[in-house]
Amino acid sequence: MDELELLKKDWDKSSTNYPTLNNEQLYKLINKKSSSIVKWIFIISLLEFSAWTLISFLFDGAESLEKMKSYNVEHIFFPLTIFGYLVLFVFFYLFYKNYKSISATDNTKMLMEQILKTRKTVKQYVIFNLGFMCISIVLGVYIELTNNPEVQTMLTNIKSEGANNIYIFYLIVVGLSVLAMAVIAAVLIGFYYLIYGLLLKRLKSNYKDLKALEKAF
Amino acid sequence: MKSVTEQNFVVLLQEHQNIVHKICRIYTNDSDAHKDLFQEITIQLWKAFPKFRGDSKFSTWMYRVGLNTAITLYRKSLRHVQSQRIESVAYKLSYEEYDDTKDEQLKLIYGAVRKLNDIDKGIVFLYLENKNYKEISGTLGISEVNARVRMNRIKTKLKTQLNS
Repeated sequence: MDELELLKKDWDKSSTNYPTLNNEQLYKLINKKSSSIVKWIFIISLLEFSAWTLISFLFDGAESLEKMKSYNVEHIFFPLTIFGYLVLFVFFYLFYKNYKSISATDNTKMLMEQILKTRKTVKQYVIFNLGFMCISIVLGVYIELTNNPEVQTMLTNIKSEGANNIYIFYLIVVGLSVLAMAVIAAVLIGFYYLIYGLLLKRLKSNYKDLKALEKAF
Repeated sequence: MKSVTEQNFVVLLQEHQNIVHKICRIYTNDSDAHKDLFQEITIQLWKAFPKFRGDSKFSTWMYRVGLNTAITLYRKSLRHVQSQRIESVAYKLSYEEYDDTKDEQLKLIYGAVRKLNDIDKGIVFLYLENKNYKEISGTLGISEVNARVRMNRIKTKLKTQLNS
Protein backbone atom coordinates (compact mmCIF):
# COMPACT_ATOMS: atom_id res chain seq x y z
CA MET A 1 0.00 0.00 0.00
CA ASP A 2 1.11 3.52 -0.80
CA GLU A 3 2.76 5.26 2.18
CA LEU A 4 0.60 8.32 1.78
CA GLU A 5 -2.57 6.25 1.69
CA LEU A 6 -1.54 4.62 4.93
CA LEU A 7 -0.87 8.02 6.42
CA LYS A 8 -4.19 9.34 5.18
CA LYS A 9 -6.10 6.58 6.93
CA ASP A 10 -4.42 7.39 10.21
CA TRP A 11 -4.85 11.12 9.60
CA ASP A 12 -8.60 10.77 9.20
CA LYS A 13 -8.80 8.48 12.21
CA SER A 14 -6.87 10.80 14.53
CA SER A 15 -8.73 13.95 13.59
CA THR A 16 -10.83 13.65 16.72
CA ASN A 17 -7.82 13.58 19.04
CA TYR A 18 -6.97 17.25 18.94
CA PRO A 19 -7.47 19.47 21.96
CA THR A 20 -10.52 21.67 21.83
CA LEU A 21 -10.15 25.21 23.04
CA ASN A 22 -13.23 26.98 24.25
CA ASN A 23 -14.27 30.44 23.12
CA GLU A 24 -12.73 32.14 26.12
CA GLN A 25 -9.33 30.54 25.50
CA LEU A 26 -9.46 31.40 21.80
CA TYR A 27 -10.46 34.96 22.60
CA LYS A 28 -7.36 35.27 24.78
CA LEU A 29 -5.17 33.83 22.03
CA ILE A 30 -6.25 36.13 19.23
CA ASN A 31 -5.54 39.15 21.40
CA LYS A 32 -1.91 38.23 21.90
CA LYS A 33 0.91 39.89 20.03
CA SER A 34 1.98 38.51 16.71
CA SER A 35 5.59 37.60 16.06
CA SER A 36 5.41 37.34 12.28
CA ILE A 37 8.26 38.27 9.95
CA VAL A 38 6.08 40.98 8.39
CA LYS A 39 5.86 42.71 11.74
CA TRP A 40 9.63 42.54 12.14
CA ILE A 41 10.24 43.86 8.63
CA PHE A 42 7.89 46.75 9.40
CA ILE A 43 9.69 47.60 12.65
CA ILE A 44 13.17 47.34 11.13
CA SER A 45 12.12 49.42 8.12
CA LEU A 46 10.72 52.16 10.34
CA LEU A 47 14.02 52.17 12.24
CA GLU A 48 15.90 52.47 8.97
CA PHE A 49 13.79 55.39 7.80
CA SER A 50 14.18 57.19 11.11
CA ALA A 51 17.91 56.49 11.33
CA TRP A 52 18.55 58.00 7.92
CA THR A 53 16.33 60.98 8.63
CA LEU A 54 18.17 61.54 11.89
CA ILE A 55 21.54 61.34 10.13
CA SER A 56 20.48 63.90 7.53
CA PHE A 57 19.21 66.18 10.31
CA LEU A 58 22.57 65.98 12.03
CA PHE A 59 24.37 66.91 8.83
CA ASP A 60 21.94 69.70 8.00
CA GLY A 61 22.35 71.35 11.40
CA ALA A 62 22.23 75.13 11.74
CA GLU A 63 25.97 75.27 12.23
CA SER A 64 26.83 73.57 8.97
CA LEU A 65 24.22 75.68 7.19
CA GLU A 66 25.93 78.83 8.44
CA LYS A 67 29.24 77.48 7.24
CA MET A 68 27.79 76.73 3.81
CA LYS A 69 26.40 80.26 3.68
CA SER A 70 29.81 81.73 4.46
CA TYR A 71 31.22 79.69 1.56
CA ASN A 72 28.41 80.90 -0.72
CA VAL A 73 27.48 77.37 -1.70
CA GLU A 74 24.01 77.17 -0.16
CA HIS A 75 22.58 77.20 -3.69
CA ILE A 76 24.05 73.68 -4.03
CA PHE A 77 23.09 72.38 -0.60
CA PHE A 78 19.57 73.72 -0.35
CA PRO A 79 18.22 71.86 -3.43
CA LEU A 80 20.16 68.76 -2.39
CA THR A 81 18.49 68.75 1.01
CA ILE A 82 15.02 69.26 -0.49
CA PHE A 83 15.74 66.49 -2.97
CA GLY A 84 16.78 64.19 -0.11
CA TYR A 85 13.50 64.76 1.75
CA LEU A 86 11.41 64.34 -1.38
CA VAL A 87 13.03 61.01 -2.05
CA LEU A 88 12.41 59.98 1.57
CA PHE A 89 8.69 60.71 1.17
CA VAL A 90 8.44 58.88 -2.12
CA PHE A 91 10.16 55.81 -0.68
CA PHE A 92 8.11 55.93 2.48
CA TYR A 93 4.90 56.12 0.46
CA LEU A 94 5.97 53.15 -1.70
CA PHE A 95 6.99 51.19 1.37
CA TYR A 96 3.69 51.84 3.12
CA LYS A 97 1.73 50.93 -0.01
CA ASN A 98 3.62 47.66 -0.36
CA TYR A 99 3.28 46.88 3.32
CA LYS A 100 -0.46 47.43 3.19
CA SER A 101 -0.81 45.02 0.27
CA ILE A 102 0.73 42.14 2.20
CA SER A 103 -2.19 39.84 2.80
CA ALA A 104 -2.27 36.39 4.35
CA THR A 105 -5.37 35.80 2.22
CA ASP A 106 -3.33 35.78 -1.02
CA ASN A 107 -1.90 32.55 -2.32
CA THR A 108 1.49 31.55 -0.90
CA LYS A 109 3.50 32.68 -3.91
CA MET A 110 1.86 36.12 -4.09
CA LEU A 111 2.31 36.62 -0.37
CA MET A 112 6.02 35.83 -0.60
CA GLU A 113 6.46 38.14 -3.59
CA GLN A 114 4.73 40.98 -1.78
CA ILE A 115 6.94 40.59 1.28
CA LEU A 116 10.08 40.52 -0.86
CA LYS A 117 8.86 43.61 -2.73
CA THR A 118 8.33 45.51 0.51
CA ARG A 119 11.80 44.61 1.64
CA LYS A 120 13.24 45.60 -1.75
CA THR A 121 11.84 49.13 -1.48
CA VAL A 122 13.67 49.69 1.77
CA LYS A 123 16.82 48.21 0.28
CA GLN A 124 16.60 50.65 -2.63
CA TYR A 125 16.16 53.50 -0.18
CA VAL A 126 19.30 52.44 1.67
CA ILE A 127 21.27 52.13 -1.57
CA PHE A 128 20.05 55.59 -2.58
CA ASN A 129 21.18 56.96 0.76
CA LEU A 130 24.60 55.37 0.49
CA GLY A 131 25.02 56.95 -2.94
CA PHE A 132 23.71 60.27 -1.68
CA MET A 133 26.13 60.14 1.23
CA CYS A 134 29.10 59.41 -1.04
CA ILE A 135 28.22 62.39 -3.22
CA SER A 136 27.87 64.54 -0.10
CA ILE A 137 31.28 63.45 1.17
CA VAL A 138 32.95 64.16 -2.18
CA LEU A 139 31.17 67.52 -2.46
CA GLY A 140 31.94 68.41 1.16
CA VAL A 141 35.63 67.62 0.81
CA TYR A 142 35.81 69.61 -2.43
CA ILE A 143 34.07 72.64 -0.89
CA GLU A 144 36.30 72.55 2.18
CA LEU A 145 39.40 72.39 0.00
CA THR A 146 38.36 75.32 -2.18
CA ASN A 147 36.59 77.55 0.36
CA ASN A 148 37.91 77.02 3.89
CA PRO A 149 40.44 79.81 4.60
CA GLU A 150 42.33 77.62 7.09
CA VAL A 151 42.69 74.87 4.52
CA GLN A 152 43.79 77.46 1.93
CA THR A 153 46.63 78.62 4.19
CA MET A 154 47.57 75.02 4.84
CA LEU A 155 47.63 74.31 1.10
CA THR A 156 49.90 77.32 0.46
CA ASN A 157 52.24 76.11 3.21
CA ILE A 158 52.41 72.61 1.79
CA LYS A 159 53.04 73.96 -1.71
CA SER A 160 55.91 76.13 -0.49
CA GLU A 161 57.58 73.09 1.08
CA GLY A 162 57.86 71.24 -2.19
CA ALA A 163 55.97 70.72 -5.43
CA ASN A 164 55.30 67.04 -4.84
CA ASN A 165 53.92 67.44 -1.33
CA ILE A 166 50.65 68.82 -2.59
CA TYR A 167 49.98 65.64 -4.60
CA ILE A 168 50.72 63.50 -1.57
CA PHE A 169 48.32 65.67 0.42
CA TYR A 170 45.54 65.24 -2.14
CA LEU A 171 46.23 61.54 -2.27
CA ILE A 172 45.79 61.31 1.50
CA VAL A 173 42.53 63.31 1.37
CA VAL A 174 41.10 61.10 -1.39
CA GLY A 175 42.31 57.96 0.35
CA LEU A 176 40.71 58.95 3.66
CA SER A 177 37.41 59.83 1.97
CA VAL A 178 37.28 56.53 0.14
CA LEU A 179 38.16 54.71 3.35
CA ALA A 180 35.37 56.51 5.25
CA MET A 181 32.83 55.60 2.56
CA ALA A 182 34.02 52.00 2.44
CA VAL A 183 33.82 51.61 6.22
CA ILE A 184 30.28 53.06 6.37
CA ALA A 185 29.14 50.87 3.46
CA ALA A 186 30.76 47.75 4.93
CA VAL A 187 29.20 48.26 8.37
CA LEU A 188 25.76 48.80 6.84
CA ILE A 189 25.99 45.88 4.45
CA GLY A 190 27.15 43.62 7.29
CA PHE A 191 24.26 44.83 9.45
CA TYR A 192 21.67 44.20 6.73
CA TYR A 193 23.13 40.86 5.87
CA LEU A 194 22.78 39.81 9.49
CA ILE A 195 19.28 41.19 10.14
CA TYR A 196 17.57 40.33 6.86
CA GLY A 197 19.63 37.21 6.35
CA LEU A 198 18.25 35.79 9.55
CA LEU A 199 14.75 37.07 8.97
CA LEU A 200 14.29 36.10 5.35
CA LYS A 201 16.43 32.98 5.03
CA ARG A 202 13.50 30.61 5.26
CA LEU A 203 11.23 32.70 3.05
CA LYS A 204 13.87 32.97 0.35
CA SER A 205 14.55 29.27 0.29
CA ASN A 206 10.83 28.46 0.16
CA TYR A 207 10.31 31.00 -2.59
CA LYS A 208 13.18 29.51 -4.56
CA ASP A 209 11.56 26.15 -4.09
CA LEU A 210 8.25 27.35 -5.50
CA LYS A 211 9.96 29.05 -8.42
CA ALA A 212 12.10 26.00 -9.20
CA LEU A 213 8.89 24.07 -9.54
CA GLU A 214 7.78 26.37 -12.33
CA LYS A 215 11.04 26.43 -14.22
CA ALA A 216 11.00 22.66 -14.59
CA PHE A 217 8.25 22.99 -17.21
CA MET B 1 -15.47 44.43 25.50
CA LYS B 2 -15.82 41.91 22.75
CA SER B 3 -17.17 43.28 19.52
CA VAL B 4 -19.78 41.43 17.48
CA THR B 5 -17.18 40.73 14.80
CA GLU B 6 -14.87 39.27 17.39
CA GLN B 7 -17.61 37.09 18.79
CA ASN B 8 -18.56 35.86 15.33
CA PHE B 9 -14.97 35.14 14.52
CA VAL B 10 -14.31 33.20 17.72
CA VAL B 11 -17.40 31.06 17.14
CA LEU B 12 -16.20 30.20 13.62
CA LEU B 13 -12.67 29.57 14.84
CA GLN B 14 -13.92 27.35 17.64
CA GLU B 15 -15.85 25.29 15.17
CA HIS B 16 -12.95 24.86 12.76
CA GLN B 17 -9.96 24.87 15.12
CA ASN B 18 -9.04 21.34 14.12
CA ILE B 19 -7.67 22.70 10.84
CA VAL B 20 -5.19 24.85 12.77
CA HIS B 21 -4.15 21.93 14.96
CA LYS B 22 -3.59 19.77 11.92
CA ILE B 23 -1.37 22.39 10.26
CA CYS B 24 0.64 22.61 13.50
CA ARG B 25 0.95 18.87 13.59
CA ILE B 26 2.59 18.77 10.16
CA TYR B 27 4.83 21.78 10.70
CA THR B 28 6.06 21.31 14.26
CA ASN B 29 7.98 18.65 16.12
CA ASP B 30 6.97 19.18 19.72
CA SER B 31 4.05 20.45 21.72
CA ASP B 32 5.68 23.79 22.65
CA ALA B 33 6.22 24.62 19.00
CA HIS B 34 2.71 23.39 18.24
CA LYS B 35 1.22 25.82 20.74
CA ASP B 36 3.37 28.65 19.48
CA LEU B 37 2.39 28.13 15.85
CA PHE B 38 -1.24 27.62 16.86
CA GLN B 39 -1.17 31.01 18.55
CA GLU B 40 0.40 32.77 15.58
CA ILE B 41 -2.08 31.22 13.14
CA THR B 42 -5.06 32.31 15.24
CA ILE B 43 -3.64 35.85 15.44
CA GLN B 44 -3.09 35.95 11.66
CA LEU B 45 -6.61 34.60 11.06
CA TRP B 46 -8.07 37.31 13.25
CA LYS B 47 -5.97 39.98 11.54
CA ALA B 48 -7.07 38.77 8.10
CA PHE B 49 -10.71 38.28 9.10
CA PRO B 50 -11.86 41.68 7.77
CA LYS B 51 -10.75 40.43 4.35
CA PHE B 52 -12.90 37.31 4.59
CA ARG B 53 -15.82 38.11 2.35
CA GLY B 54 -17.73 34.92 2.67
CA ASP B 55 -17.45 34.13 -1.03
CA SER B 56 -15.50 31.04 -0.07
CA LYS B 57 -16.12 28.74 2.84
CA PHE B 58 -14.61 29.82 6.13
CA SER B 59 -12.67 26.55 6.28
CA THR B 60 -11.21 27.05 2.77
CA TRP B 61 -10.11 30.52 3.77
CA MET B 62 -8.59 29.11 6.95
CA TYR B 63 -6.47 26.62 5.02
CA ARG B 64 -4.96 29.45 3.04
CA VAL B 65 -4.21 31.82 5.91
CA GLY B 66 -3.07 28.95 8.13
CA LEU B 67 -0.64 27.54 5.58
CA ASN B 68 0.63 31.00 4.69
CA THR B 69 1.41 31.56 8.33
CA ALA B 70 3.17 28.21 8.73
CA ILE B 71 5.18 28.52 5.50
CA THR B 72 5.89 32.22 5.29
CA LEU B 73 4.83 34.51 8.10
CA TYR B 74 5.71 32.46 11.15
CA ARG B 75 9.01 33.11 12.77
CA LYS B 76 10.09 30.71 15.44
CA SER B 77 9.50 33.13 18.21
CA LEU B 78 11.26 34.04 21.36
CA ARG B 79 8.03 33.01 22.95
CA HIS B 80 9.60 29.79 24.15
CA VAL B 81 11.21 31.96 26.77
CA GLN B 82 7.84 33.39 27.63
CA SER B 83 6.03 30.11 27.58
CA GLN B 84 4.18 30.94 30.78
CA ARG B 85 2.26 33.41 28.70
CA ILE B 86 0.96 30.57 26.59
CA GLU B 87 0.47 28.40 29.62
CA SER B 88 -1.97 30.96 30.91
CA VAL B 89 -4.25 29.79 28.15
CA ALA B 90 -3.41 26.28 29.29
CA TYR B 91 -4.89 23.72 27.08
CA LYS B 92 -4.09 20.12 27.22
CA LEU B 93 -1.90 18.97 24.44
CA SER B 94 -0.06 15.76 24.56
CA TYR B 95 1.69 14.53 21.47
CA GLU B 96 1.50 11.00 22.76
CA GLU B 97 -2.21 11.16 22.25
CA TYR B 98 -2.01 11.30 18.52
CA ASP B 99 1.55 10.97 17.49
CA ASP B 100 3.09 8.04 19.24
CA THR B 101 1.10 5.61 17.32
CA LYS B 102 1.78 1.98 18.07
CA ASP B 103 2.38 1.35 14.43
CA GLU B 104 6.12 1.55 13.76
CA GLN B 105 5.64 2.08 10.06
CA LEU B 106 3.29 5.01 10.58
CA LYS B 107 5.77 6.55 12.97
CA LEU B 108 8.40 6.37 10.26
CA ILE B 109 6.07 7.89 7.69
CA TYR B 110 5.23 10.82 9.98
CA GLY B 111 8.95 11.30 10.58
CA ALA B 112 9.65 11.28 6.84
CA VAL B 113 6.90 13.86 6.18
CA ARG B 114 8.34 16.16 8.83
CA LYS B 115 11.68 16.03 7.01
CA LEU B 116 10.13 17.38 3.79
CA ASN B 117 10.58 21.05 2.95
CA ASP B 118 7.87 23.58 3.84
CA ILE B 119 6.23 23.64 0.42
CA ASP B 120 6.10 19.84 0.14
CA LYS B 121 4.64 19.63 3.64
CA GLY B 122 1.89 21.98 2.51
CA ILE B 123 1.10 19.82 -0.50
CA VAL B 124 1.00 16.67 1.64
CA PHE B 125 -1.19 18.40 4.20
CA LEU B 126 -3.73 19.52 1.62
CA TYR B 127 -3.70 16.06 0.09
CA LEU B 128 -4.39 14.50 3.49
CA GLU B 129 -7.25 16.95 3.87
CA ASN B 130 -8.83 15.65 0.67
CA LYS B 131 -8.13 18.74 -1.37
CA ASN B 132 -7.93 18.25 -5.11
CA TYR B 133 -5.08 19.52 -7.27
CA LYS B 134 -7.02 22.57 -8.28
CA GLU B 135 -7.37 23.64 -4.66
CA ILE B 136 -3.75 22.76 -3.87
CA SER B 137 -2.47 24.83 -6.80
CA GLY B 138 -4.80 27.71 -5.92
CA THR B 139 -3.63 27.81 -2.32
CA LEU B 140 0.08 27.74 -3.10
CA GLY B 141 0.01 29.79 -6.31
CA ILE B 142 1.45 27.11 -8.60
CA SER B 143 -0.09 25.48 -11.65
CA GLU B 144 -2.15 22.33 -11.39
CA VAL B 145 0.32 20.37 -13.52
CA ASN B 146 3.14 21.43 -11.25
CA ALA B 147 1.20 20.39 -8.19
CA ARG B 148 0.66 16.94 -9.67
CA VAL B 149 4.29 16.50 -10.67
CA ARG B 150 5.41 17.67 -7.26
CA MET B 151 3.11 15.21 -5.56
CA ASN B 152 4.62 12.35 -7.53
CA ARG B 153 8.07 13.49 -6.57
CA ILE B 154 7.06 13.64 -2.93
CA LYS B 155 5.78 10.08 -3.11
CA THR B 156 9.09 8.93 -4.59
CA LYS B 157 10.99 10.94 -1.98
CA LEU B 158 9.05 9.34 0.85
CA LYS B 159 9.53 5.87 -0.58
CA THR B 160 13.27 6.32 -0.95
CA GLN B 161 13.57 7.71 2.54
CA LEU B 162 11.54 4.93 4.10
CA ASN B 163 13.35 2.17 2.26
CA SER B 164 16.83 3.38 3.03
